Amino acid sequence: MRISFTLLLSIFAVPSLIAAPQEKVGFNRDIRPILSENCYYCHGPDEKHREEDLRLDIREEAIKAGAITPGNPEKSELIERIFTDDEEEIMPQPKTHKVLTAVQKDLLKRWIAEGAEYEPHWAFAVPKHPATPPVKSKAAAFGNGIDAFILQKLETENVSLSAPADPHTLIRRVTLDLTGLPPSPADVNVFVNACRNADGSGYTISKAAYEALVDRLLASPTYGENMARQWLDYARYADSHGFQTDSSRTMWPWRDWVIRAFNENKPFDQFTIEQLAGDLLPNPTNAQIVATGFHRNHRINGEGGLITEEWRIENIIDRVDTTGSTWLGLTLGCARCHDHKYDPISQKEFYQMFSFFNNIAETGVAVGALNRSGGNLDPMIRVGTEEQVTQAKELQGRIDKINATLKESEKKIAAAQSVWEKSKLSHDQTPADIKKIITSGGKRSKEQKALVDKYYRSVVDQSTKQIMAELDQLQKQLMALDKITPLTMVMKELPTPRKAFILKRGQYTDPGEEVTANTPAVLPPLPAGEPHNRLTLAKWIVSPTNPLTARVWVNRQWEHFFGYGIVKTSENFGMQSEPPTHPELLDWLATEFVSSGWDMKAMMKRMVMSATYRQASLIKTMPKVLLEKDPYNRLLARAPRLRLPAEAIRDQALSISGLLDQRIGGPSARPYMPKGVWDETSVYGDLRNYQADTNGGLYRRSLYTIWKRTAAPPTMLIFDSAAREICTVKRSSTNTPLQALALLNEVTFVEAARVLAQRMMLEGGSDPAQRIAWAFRQATQREATDEEKSLLQKSFEKSLTTYRAAPAEATKLVAAGNSPIAKVDPIELAAYTVTANVILNLDEVITRD
Amino acid sequence: MNSFILQAQDAINRRSFLSSTSSVLGLTALNSLLAPQLLHGAVPTPNLPSFPQLPIKAKRVIYLFQSGAPSQMDLFDPKPQMQKLFGKDLPDSIRQGQRLTGMTSGQKSFPVAPSIFKFAEHGQSRATISELMPHLSTIADELCFIKSMRTDAINHDPAITFFQTGRQIPGYPSMGSWLSYGLGSENKDLPAFVVLSSFGSGRRDDQPLYDRLWGSGFLPSQYQGVKFRNTGDPVLYLSNPNGMSAATRRQSLDDLNALNHQRFGAIGDPEIQARIAQYEMAFRMQTSVPELTDFSKEPQHIIDMYGPDVKRPGSYAANCLLARRLAERDVRFVQLFHMGWDHHSGLPKAIRGQCADTDQPTTALIKDLKQRGLLDDTLIVWGGEFGRTIYSQGALTQDNYGRDHHPRCFTIFLAGGGIKPGMSIGVTDDFSYNILQDPVSIFDLHATMLNRMGIDHNRMTFKFQGLDAKLTGVEKATAVKSIML
Repeated sequence: MRISFTLLLSIFAVPSLIAAPQEKVGFNRDIRPILSENCYYCHGPDEKHREEDLRLDIREEAIKAGAITPGNPEKSELIERIFTDDEEEIMPQPKTHKVLTAVQKDLLKRWIAEGAEYEPHWAFAVPKHPATPPVKSKAAAFGNGIDAFILQKLETENVSLSAPADPHTLIRRVTLDLTGLPPSPADVNVFVNACRNADGSGYTISKAAYEALVDRLLASPTYGENMARQWLDYARYADSHGFQTDSSRTMWPWRDWVIRAFNENKPFDQFTIEQLAGDLLPNPTNAQIVATGFHRNHRINGEGGLITEEWRIENIIDRVDTTGSTWLGLTLGCARCHDHKYDPISQKEFYQMFSFFNNIAETGVAVGALNRSGGNLDPMIRVGTEEQVTQAKELQGRIDKINATLKESEKKIAAAQSVWEKSKLSHDQTPADIKKIITSGGKRSKEQKALVDKYYRSVVDQSTKQIMAELDQLQKQLMALDKITPLTMVMKELPTPRKAFILKRGQYTDPGEEVTANTPAVLPPLPAGEPHNRLTLAKWIVSPTNPLTARVWVNRQWEHFFGYGIVKTSENFGMQSEPPTHPELLDWLATEFVSSGWDMKAMMKRMVMSATYRQASLIKTMPKVLLEKDPYNRLLARAPRLRLPAEAIRDQALSISGLLDQRIGGPSARPYMPKGVWDETSVYGDLRNYQADTNGGLYRRSLYTIWKRTAAPPTMLIFDSAAREICTVKRSSTNTPLQALALLNEVTFVEAARVLAQRMMLEGGSDPAQRIAWAFRQATQREATDEEKSLLQKSFEKSLTTYRAAPAEATKLVAAGNSPIAKVDPIELAAYTVTANVILNLDEVITRD
Repeated sequence: MNSFILQAQDAINRRSFLSSTSSVLGLTALNSLLAPQLLHGAVPTPNLPSFPQLPIKAKRVIYLFQSGAPSQMDLFDPKPQMQKLFGKDLPDSIRQGQRLTGMTSGQKSFPVAPSIFKFAEHGQSRATISELMPHLSTIADELCFIKSMRTDAINHDPAITFFQTGRQIPGYPSMGSWLSYGLGSENKDLPAFVVLSSFGSGRRDDQPLYDRLWGSGFLPSQYQGVKFRNTGDPVLYLSNPNGMSAATRRQSLDDLNALNHQRFGAIGDPEIQARIAQYEMAFRMQTSVPELTDFSKEPQHIIDMYGPDVKRPGSYAANCLLARRLAERDVRFVQLFHMGWDHHSGLPKAIRGQCADTDQPTTALIKDLKQRGLLDDTLIVWGGEFGRTIYSQGALTQDNYGRDHHPRCFTIFLAGGGIKPGMSIGVTDDFSYNILQDPVSIFDLHATMLNRMGIDHNRMTFKFQGLDAKLTGVEKATAVKSIML
């Protein structure tokens, strides 16, 4: 079978984004994307790969070479070469498979005719604070500055915002967006009632009620959990080391620090500084050091036979990439092996950045027993109260001392033990297992030896008996302390910095010129007189003169609420980025963010308070011409409909059914997982033989689910979560049959349906109609239509008939999950379970409208 | 459905499925709502406007990955000259400063360990195959050996990742993801990219597999491989819950679809229709997958071909038979992994076991495809992630040795799908340590595979981090012309 398909044009041709025929051509908006995509690869910043000694990214060079004659396209070789029919001459060369469209060629010609002015790349220039534009429309009732920018653009298309969303939709949207959980029915009631028109003619969103709702959500601890979910992807956070053995580590204290920081609304600059360099702050608190776990979250290799230096260097490269992606929106990793092909970042500058992260007191690998049985690597810090930390230190000190004493008399003890072993008489009291090892005479395994030695020293030998008992006691105490005050990995600077070199072709085996820590020249310099270390780097990243950081962060929050960033390529703000649809809005938000003192909650609030955010998401009322012109809804004439993220889909099912365990933080949880997910592909490491929790751990929020990188939780991956092997700043959103299977059949969702069904019967009213309407409200926060009610009721009755005829099947269905089964008629419960399963699978339920 | 919405679909479809991805995928199958088979992993790439760019020689791939790295000099690359050098140190002129893994870099000597296995020439092509592979020897003339594969990685995790994704580091799409992204699915009831794994007689820790090996990297996650499982449901969450019959499921799905359809009428978002179609495909999979994995209708002579192990679910033999059944159903990419080839010590015994597990089923698969006329357009690839050293890791005795990882040369073979049968390319030195002739990189292999599928590897790209990312990376890759029909 041949696949028939129709191809559409690239989205670079979104019509509303390009200069209209009468408008002046803009370099940043119109020209740079063409040059960067089609020309810079051979005629750009990378010196080694540059052809014909021509570079088009610098105006003077392009003019000197004759490629461009400002004001005179006819005398510009660039124009000649893109319009020619000569296959030898034409640019871009056919072998690149790049083809300029007629529109692009015309733009280049007009641009040269208009003087071929260059502009610095918008993202590398410090944003200025623009005035909010005046708008004609009254659509933005109680909106804010955001709406002025959005409306300005919409008005050029002769459209406006959609009508405001109804209160049911809005409270569901804002609650899911800010907390990752649906609103409770009680909250919905309060808000909807506050918005009900006095004359009963429908609803008007009450500003006071909405603002109170937003404030309450931002103050809820679930807000921090939801924000952390996004941040954990950037930080490639997991509970395992990754790579071949993929054994366990303990980094949840860092994860809990992140949740707390978001909930305390730690300003983003401080949030950044503490994570990148908390250890270098003057007199850092324990928490500030824990924060530096951000850059210990990368994978750590422990495969037998690895070469240590190779992997220490890989980890540092990961830190540079992650820092670039998370804060700067730059693809620094592209300059690992050669100068960047598109952005003015040289290979040397990459290794200057590398140098900032090169001085950690670490080996970079998890070898030997640690690799197999899991655990953290130095540097580490104990998380607990001061008293607990001191106590742990003291215990460790005493343990070390006893071990040293034992070692001193090792020979003497061993000799005595050997005598004892040989004297059969004295073995009468010896336990059978020990006796067996001794008498078998063969070579003892490590474990066997340890067993016999321990027995001898703690039971037989009077000279060691007492200290062995003490040692045992101390170890038990320390283990107990470890459980409540775990060690977590952090950054710690070496007293003498390691040397850093340019690595030719990115290979650790091939060092070139020595480099010292510094930032790329295209960005503002580090402050004079400051040491070039991580702390200075962190402060530089969040300095108001850094053109990228604030823009990158506000753009990602915008993406979270509106589906796309103002810059669509939210992962890349370099030359190959897509220009912002609303550049002034982006700069306005970024500068407001900085001048607010990097107040994250204030920025989140500003976005959700806008009329743009609060409008309806209906597509069917959109003018057809607008749908054609703006298929991606970049102009925001309506709110987007977004499928919920993986975590929210599961958390919501737990929440609607009432199963959700709301405890915050702590060691990771083990919810249901199909048999063999960990073991079918690996028998390495300590993360094997998965045992689900038997209590609340089954129902914790998904961000607490234990994350083994090489075999991540399947229902998360199926719904597009990041794999957490490397920094991921953007997830895809897909629609697949495996998602349908998971929602229909995975035990969490089936149990959620059964428990929701129980509540239908116990709390939802006295007859099927009431109960179905109740469950529908629980799941969607709105009243079902009559058609929907009747459909669901008929569906329920069919199921009821089925289960009446097969009561044994009903008993099986309602047994799903570990939670107790309510004492209700199992046949009816089974039928309601099927109905609840349908409701939890509705597109509307897994989508936020 | 009102007619306005039908018209609006075209516009909206441009963002369906791929809405939040990082790419410039500004297109999708406009007919997708009418043709459910296009919904799953079937969105053509913008860089394949004229697909096929090249003649299509293979419609599907079965990749028989031998995880852990089989020893080339004990299987296909005989070095009889080594017998007289038994126990002698590997000359520096051969090692040429090659870096060694930490497992042998501390060894005082690198004693040459000649293979204890006998080789013979087989078929008209006179292929040299060791006595460990008696079945494969009977179809030597179907096979095309590349004895000059090379890689850059010397540890398993990066090396196997390199083979599957073209990079040693995570984050890049696997071969199967690229192909299902580029070419879509030809079966409306099964995924386009299926992964099978097996343990055999070998140590179960030689070597593990990782999700990323069939992950979609930066491609939308609908292109990730669907790993079939050896315990429980073959596909995760395939079975209805206990106590829910197929009839009840059908009825509840009808009701769910009707409700979703009403919602679509109220909202007008074609994503809702796409979701309805996905639920329908899920339902079809509930039938098509059990039917696929049910061998009860296979005649006895076919069962016998694959050997006794075929009855054990999750064995290599069972997976080979399953691979044939997937090929019959036009599944685009079947990625099979067999673990247990990492023979650092006790190689002779361990490799006997691995070969006993795999020799007959591999042979049966190729013969079976051939007798059904499927071999011509099914590309088979057999091989591991690197080779092994001629010198012994650990103690060398007359009948026992181990071999460390060796990236500089190793052997793989291909068959079917537009590959010349009965030939061999590549020559290694006397120590099977360095390539003397026709080196083939992993990128070259990938380019060759894509070529046979009708794709110019330079033209299957996806915009990632500003670059036109390709399976074959940034270094030059060349399809190996000499082995193509």
